[in-house]
Amino acid sequence: MDAIVKFVEGFFALISKGAEVFVSIAGGIIPSLLILMTIVNFIIRLIGQDKVEKAAEKLTGNIIARYMVLPFLAAFILTNPLLTIFGKFLKEYQKPGYVDAAESILHPTLGLFPHINPGEIFVYMGIAIGIEQLELSLAPLAIRAFLAGLVVILIRGTITERIMLFNMKRNGITPKDLEIEKQKIKAT
Amino acid sequence: MKFLNVLVEKISRFIGGAVNNFYAAARDSVDQVIKTVLPFMVFVSALIGIILGTNVGTLIANTLTPLANNVVGLLVISLICGIPILSPLLGPGAVIASVVGTLVGTQIGLGNIPPNLAVAALFAINTQVGCDFFPVDLSLSEASPKTEEIGIPSILISRWLTGPVAVLVGYVAGLGMY
Repeated sequence: MDAIVKFVEGFFALISKGAEVFVSIAGGIIPSLLILMTIVNFIIRLIGQDKVEKAAEKLTGNIIARYMVLPFLAAFILTNPLLTIFGKFLKEYQKPGYVDAAESILHPTLGLFPHINPGEIFVYMGIAIGIEQLELSLAPLAIRAFLAGLVVILIRGTITERIMLFNMKRNGITPKDLEIEKQKIKAT
Repeated sequence: MKFLNVLVEKISRFIGGAVNNFYAAARDSVDQVIKTVLPFMVFVSALIGIILGTNVGTLIANTLTPLANNVVGLLVISLICGIPILSPLLGPGAVIASVVGTLVGTQIGLGNIPPNLAVAALFAINTQVGCDFFPVDLSLSEASPKTEEIGIPSILISRWLTGPVAVLVGYVAGLGMY
């Protein structure tokens, strides 16, 4: 009997932990997400969907813009976790590479721009505290981590895009198919 | 007078159009959040709840830290953290990265790990960054379900490959730092 009680208690502990996490991410993200999305959508409507898409296509035409500049700008302006919204300006097959790069820039930037991801500062600070204890300056670590981060996200984005294209080919899907499917979903 | 009429009409037309567009934009946003973002958030929360509730995280953190005192060990950490099935389980809330990061930082402070490895360590302990959150991220980017279906495994495999690459980039970046 005790064993059953323990099991049930443990099970409900898991559920309430999950619920707690849900309230914190949903409560933290959704209100600002809705406002931000509304403003972005409004601006796109004012300018015109076609024009925005054409401009975005031009601006994100090369991998450095797509997987290095855009993720960093998005992180700097929108911060975690909203930064992946800028992925909407990319082609479908480029989105996985973009979100990969965007997630990967969140921690190397913490030394220079802590506002990007204050909730997870200890990923960086945990290591930085060790440097501090040795009475060394933190500036070289912050700058080098940031620059290395930019190189890493470029590599990640590019490789993810390659693997994505490879997997699409294996499944017999072209980039165009994905665009068509997205239009279909938007229409319904 | 006629000019004034035209002006008033133009302004009200403009405001009417703007309000309409704003309302439509808000409706689109709500639609998208309910249809794509919320379901994934529930899914991710359930996953995080299981991981936090069962204490798997601290167990893994304590196993990984002893490896962190040289480059090869850091490469091994990134290979382990990047395993496509494991990485989504290690990602939630950056809990494991923070715990391992603090443990590694303590070792650096004690002089057991050279400070030049700090950048490489930052990448090694964090190979799994975001791996739990890609479904939500992709839905925020308005990706179609088909893109998610092919994209998520693609990212996870790519991450496994680029994890060690990031450690090497971090190692090079740390050369001659202190």
